[in-house]
Amino acid sequence: MITFDDVSITYSGATQPVLSHVNLTIPEGELVLVVGRTGSGKSTLLKCVNGLVPHFTGGTLSGRVTVAGRDTRTHPPRELADVVGIVPQDPMSGFVTDVVEDELAYGMESLGLAPDVMRRRVEETLDLLGLAHLRNRALMSLSGGERQRVAIGAVLTTHPSVLVLDEPTSALDPGAAEEVLAALQRLVHDLGVTVLMAEHRLERVVQYADRVIVVGGPGEAIRMGTPDEIMIDAPVAPPVVELGRLAGWDPLPLSVRDARRCAAPLRERLEPFVSDLSVATNMYGDEALSMSDAIVRHGHTVALRGISISAQAGEIVAVMGRNGAGKSTLLGTLVGLHGLNGGSASVGNAAPASLRGRELVTRVGLVPQDPTHLLVADSVRDECSATDLDCGLAAGSTRRTLDRLAPGIKDDTHPRDLSEGQRLALALAIVLAADPPIVLLDEPTRGLDYPAKQQLVAILKSLAQEGRCVLLATHDVELAADVATRVIVLADGEIVADGPAPDVVIGSPMFAPQVSKVLSPQPWLTVAQVARALEPAS
Amino acid sequence: MKPQHRLGAAALPRWTHPVAWWAWALGLVACVSRTTNPLLHALIVSVAGWVVARRRPEAPWANSFALFCRLGIVVIAIRVVVAMILGGGLGDHVLFTLPSIQLPDWVAGITLGGPVTAEALLSALYEGAVIAAILACIGAANSLASPARLLATVPAALYEVGVSIVVALSFAPQLVADVSRVQTARRLRGRPHRGVRALAGSAMPVFEGALERAVDLAAAMDSRGYGRTRPMKPRDQFIARVLVLISLIALSIGVYALVDGVDGSWVSWSFVAIGIICAMVGLRIAGRRSIRTRYRPDPWALPEWLVLLSGWIPAALFIAVAVNDPASLTGQTSPLQWPALPAIPAIAVLMAALPGIVTPLPPGGGPASTGVASELRRQEVLS
Amino acid sequence: MTLQTATTTQSRPAHIGRRTGLALAAASTFGLFAFLWPLIGAADSTAITHASETPWLFAVLLPLVIAVVLADLADGGLDAKGIALIGVLSAVAAALRPFGGGHAGFEPMWIVIILGGRVLGPGAGFGIGAIGMFASALLTGGVGPWLAFQMIAAGWVGLGAGLLPRASGKSELALLTVYGALACLAYGFLLNLWFWPTVTVAGTLPAAISFIPGAGFVTNLGHWLAFCIATSLGFDIPRAALTVALIIAAGRPILNALRRDSRRAAFDVPVTFRAPVPASSVHVQ
Repeated sequence: MITFDDVSITYSGATQPVLSHVNLTIPEGELVLVVGRTGSGKSTLLKCVNGLVPHFTGGTLSGRVTVAGRDTRTHPPRELADVVGIVPQDPMSGFVTDVVEDELAYGMESLGLAPDVMRRRVEETLDLLGLAHLRNRALMSLSGGERQRVAIGAVLTTHPSVLVLDEPTSALDPGAAEEVLAALQRLVHDLGVTVLMAEHRLERVVQYADRVIVVGGPGEAIRMGTPDEIMIDAPVAPPVVELGRLAGWDPLPLSVRDARRCAAPLRERLEPFVSDLSVATNMYGDEALSMSDAIVRHGHTVALRGISISAQAGEIVAVMGRNGAGKSTLLGTLVGLHGLNGGSASVGNAAPASLRGRELVTRVGLVPQDPTHLLVADSVRDECSATDLDCGLAAGSTRRTLDRLAPGIKDDTHPRDLSEGQRLALALAIVLAADPPIVLLDEPTRGLDYPAKQQLVAILKSLAQEGRCVLLATHDVELAADVATRVIVLADGEIVADGPAPDVVIGSPMFAPQVSKVLSPQPWLTVAQVARALEPAS
Repeated sequence: MKPQHRLGAAALPRWTHPVAWWAWALGLVACVSRTTNPLLHALIVSVAGWVVARRRPEAPWANSFALFCRLGIVVIAIRVVVAMILGGGLGDHVLFTLPSIQLPDWVAGITLGGPVTAEALLSALYEGAVIAAILACIGAANSLASPARLLATVPAALYEVGVSIVVALSFAPQLVADVSRVQTARRLRGRPHRGVRALAGSAMPVFEGALERAVDLAAAMDSRGYGRTRPMKPRDQFIARVLVLISLIALSIGVYALVDGVDGSWVSWSFVAIGIICAMVGLRIAGRRSIRTRYRPDPWALPEWLVLLSGWIPAALFIAVAVNDPASLTGQTSPLQWPALPAIPAIAVLMAALPGIVTPLPPGGGPASTGVASELRRQEVLS
Repeated sequence: MTLQTATTTQSRPAHIGRRTGLALAAASTFGLFAFLWPLIGAADSTAITHASETPWLFAVLLPLVIAVVLADLADGGLDAKGIALIGVLSAVAAALRPFGGGHAGFEPMWIVIILGGRVLGPGAGFGIGAIGMFASALLTGGVGPWLAFQMIAAGWVGLGAGLLPRASGKSELALLTVYGALACLAYGFLLNLWFWPTVTVAGTLPAAISFIPGAGFVTNLGHWLAFCIATSLGFDIPRAALTVALIIAAGRPILNALRRDSRRAAFDVPVTFRAPVPASSVHVQ
C-alpha cells in the first residue's frame, strides 16, 4: 500500500538529512505504529506519505514514495486526498469550518463528490465514529476525544485507503483514548484501512499494532517488524514490556492480558517482598494548601461541588478523573483564576483569588496544560531574562534553573521551536523563578516521550524533596503511579477517592497502572519497584 | 407538493435561502429610497420588524435588527443636532434661537447657531428617517440571513476567496478565546492581567499563535484536497481571463462616460451592460476550473420565490407611483403639513409582510447555536 | 531507476502577474470613479444630473467588480497557504474591529492590513484588506451598501503597503508610520465621498459643506473637505493616531512574527525531487 524506496529527506538550509535511505513496504490493511523520540523524524516520515514533505514544507526528497501506486513526486497532497487522510496532532488546527457536519463534508466538497454521495457518507461516518449526537455542535464546544474523532471522521469521508495519525491519543484521558482506538480498530478490521500512527503512549496502543516502525533519529537506520520483535530491544517501551524484559518472559507480552498469563511465577517470587512496600508514614511538613467545601460554577454548570482537600509540603498529589471532571478548575481555583461560589481556599495562608502579581507567584505557581501560553518572548534568552526581571532575581538565575531541568537548550531558540519536553522545562523554570512553595502542573505529560517523562519524574521528586508541595492534574496513570504519594480522584466535581497512591489506584480499572494490573492483588505499581525488590534476590 | 415547497407553519423548519432574504430587504430599501413620507417609513420599518420577530433564528447575528435600528436613531439625532447647529434658514416658523458664531472664510464661511426653524428640523428629521429606515431594512436582512449560509452561495470562481472568509469566520472566535487564555498566563507569571497594558501584552502571543495555526491549517487543507481543480482547456482559460479584463475595462469606460458626460447616456449604459455581461460570463467560465460540490445546499423553492416577490413588487409599485404621483410619496415640510398615508404604497408595504407568514420557521438549536457569543461562553466553561 | 532532479519554487501568496496587475488597475480605476464622481463629474453628465441615484448604481456595480478582481487574484495563484494566511489575518483584522467598536475611529485593524500587505506583498495585502472588511461585516452584521466601498478602500490600503519601497530597520518603521497615517486619513476621507452626495444633495445642510451638482471640481472639493472636517475628522484623526501609535509600539515584533511565519510557511523554499543516491541502505521487510 505504501512503499518508501531509498528515501532521504533534507530540509532546505539543513546540512544533514532528517531521514536517510529509508526502505519500507507497508501492506494493505495493517495498523502500523511509528515510535521514536521527539525530533527523531517521525512527523517527517508521516508527512512524506501524502507528499506534504516536500511539496508543502520545501526541501529535497531523493528516492521515491508511492501510495496506492501513486508517486508523491507527481502527486501533490491535494491529488492524494482521496487515498491518504492525515489527522494532525492538534485536531483543532486542521478544522476549516466550525460545525461537525460541515467539517465532515468539507473534504468531499473539495473532491467534488455528488451531493447524495456526500449525504450518505456523512451519515455513515457519524455512525461509524459514534458522532451522530454531535452533528450540529460547534467544533469549539467539543471535548478532546470528540474533536479527535471528528478529525478522523473528516478525513474518512473521502474513503481514503490510508489513514495517518500523529499522536491521536496523547492529549486524551484513558476513556476517550479507548474510544478513539476502538474506532481505529474498527476501520482496520472492518474496512481494511491501512493505519499509520505515531504515538508516545505505547502502553495504550502497542497491543493493537500489527507492525512497529522505530525511527532512531538522524543517522540511524529505520527498523520495522512485528511488535514482539521490536519491543525486545526498543529504546522506548511500555511498562508491561519492561516488566516482561525484567522477568525474562518469552514471548514478550504486549498486553496486560498476555502478561497476567505468565505472571504467576513472578508473583510468587515477589510475595516475600510485599510487606516491605507498605512504608506509608507521614513524613511531610506543614499544611501548604487547603480547600474546604469549595464550590465553583461556570454559568449553569457546576465545576466543583463542595471540595475539601489539604496537602502538605513535600507531598506529590495526583488529581485524576476523566476530562471535564473538574481537575483543571481545581488547579485554577488554587491560583485564583476562578472565584469561589462557596466555601474557602487557601494557599500559604491567603485566599488565592485576592492575590495579585508578586504576592501570587511567590506563594503558588501553575504550569498550564499548554506551556506555550506562558511563553511570550522571541527567544529562550529573552524569556529567561524577562523572568529574572519580573522576580527581581540576579541575571541568569532562571537560565540556571532551566539548565538544571533540561540542559542543552540554545539561548536564541524561539520558544515555539522547542520540543514539548523542553517547553515544559522552560515553563517550569519560569514558574520556579519566584520560588513558590506550591507547584501545580496541569497535564504535564501531554506530548512527552518516555525519556522526557523520566526526566519529569526526576524533577517532580526533587521538587518534593526541596519541601515543595506538588499537585498535578493528570490522566497518565503510569506517571501517577511513579511519583504520586497521594491520589485524589474527581468525578463530576466531587471527590470520589482520596488516599495514598497504592490504596486508590490498585484495583481501579481506570486508574491502575499496567504493572499493578499484571501483579494484582499484590500492590506493586512500577517496574522500578519490582526491579528493586528483585535486585538482592538475583 | 414537495416538502420544501410547503409554506409557513405547514413546512418543516428549515433555513429560508439567505439570498431570498437579501433580495426582499433590498426591495424594501428601494421603496424607502423613493419616498420621504415619514408615515411610509414607519410602516416599512414596522413590517420589517414584524417579519424579523416572526422568523428570527436563535443566533447572535440575529440581533442585528435592533442594533441597526439603534444606529438609525443615532443618525436621526445627529442630523437633527447638525441641522440645529448649522441652521439652513428654511421656513419661517422659528422655534428658538441659538447664539451664533461666524466661522472665518477659510472654513467656507459657515455660520454656526442662529434661529432654528420647525421646517429645518422637520426636514432633517425626514431625511434622517430615510437613512434610518434603510439601515433598519439592512438590519432585517442581517438578522434573517445566516452569514455562513450566505457564504455557501458564492459562485464557483470565488471559491478560494470564500474559503478564506470561512477560515476568517471560524477563526475569529478562537482568537477571542486565546486572548483570555493568554491573560490567564500573565496572571500566572505575576504580571498585570487586566487593563490596557495587559491587553497589549497579550496581543503578540495571540497573534503569533494565530499565524502558526494558519500554516498548520494550510497543511491540513492541502491534505484534504483543497485546491483540486479540473484541468481547463487552454482556450476556456484564455477566454475567461480575457472576458474578465474586458468586463473591468468596459465598466470603467462606461462609468467614465457617465461621469464625464461625453455623449448621450446610451453609450455609457451599453458599456456598463457589456461589462456586466462579460463579468458574469467570465466568472462562470472561470468557475469551471472548480470541481467543488456543495453539501446540503439550501433549496430555492416556492417560499423563496414569494419572499423575493414580496420585496420586489412593492419596489416596482413605489417606482410607478413615484413617476405618476410623486406628491403622495413626499413628506411636505414647507409649508408645514401633516403627512397623509397614500393608499397604494401603504398596501404595497403591507405585501412585504408576507414572508412573515409564508416562510418556514428556522430550525431551532441548529447551527444557530454555533454563534460566536455562545461559543465563547462554552469555551469559558471548558477551560 | 532513472529519475531526474526536478525543482520547483513555491511563490508568494496572491502573486500579482501582469494580467492580474492589469485587472487590479482596471478595477481600481472603476473604484476611483465610484468614489470621485461627485468631484470630477461634468455638469451635464448622467452621473451628476441624477446625483441622488448615482451612489446606488455604484453600490450595485462595485461588488461585481470586487468579485471579478478577487476571482482573478485567486486564479493567479492562491494556494492553501495563501488562503489560510489571508483568512487568519482577516480574522485578526475582523476580530480587532468590533473590539474597538468603531467608536471614535478606534479601529486597531489597520495595523494588520498594513503590516500584512508589507510582508506578504501587494496581492495578499489587497486580499487581507478586502476580505478582512467583509469578514468583519459578516461577524458584526454590518453588511450593507457601504461594504463594497469599504472593501475596495481597505484593499487599496493593503495593496499600497505591499508596494512601498524597500527599507529595513528604523527607516522601514518610519516609512510604515507615515504610510499608516496617510492611508488611514485617506480611507476616512474617501469613505465620506460615497454617501456625501446622497446626504447633502437635498439642501438641508449648509451649502458650504454640501454637494452642489455641477458646481465644478474646485467648489465641490472645497465643500467636501469642509464636510470631512466638520463631520468625520473626529473619527479619522484618532484612527490615524492609533495606527501610528500601534506601528511605532508593536510594528517591529509584528513584522518579525509575520516574517518568521512566512519562513515557516516556506513560501520561497525550493521543492526538489532527486534520484536516490546509491548508498548501502538497510532494507527492511
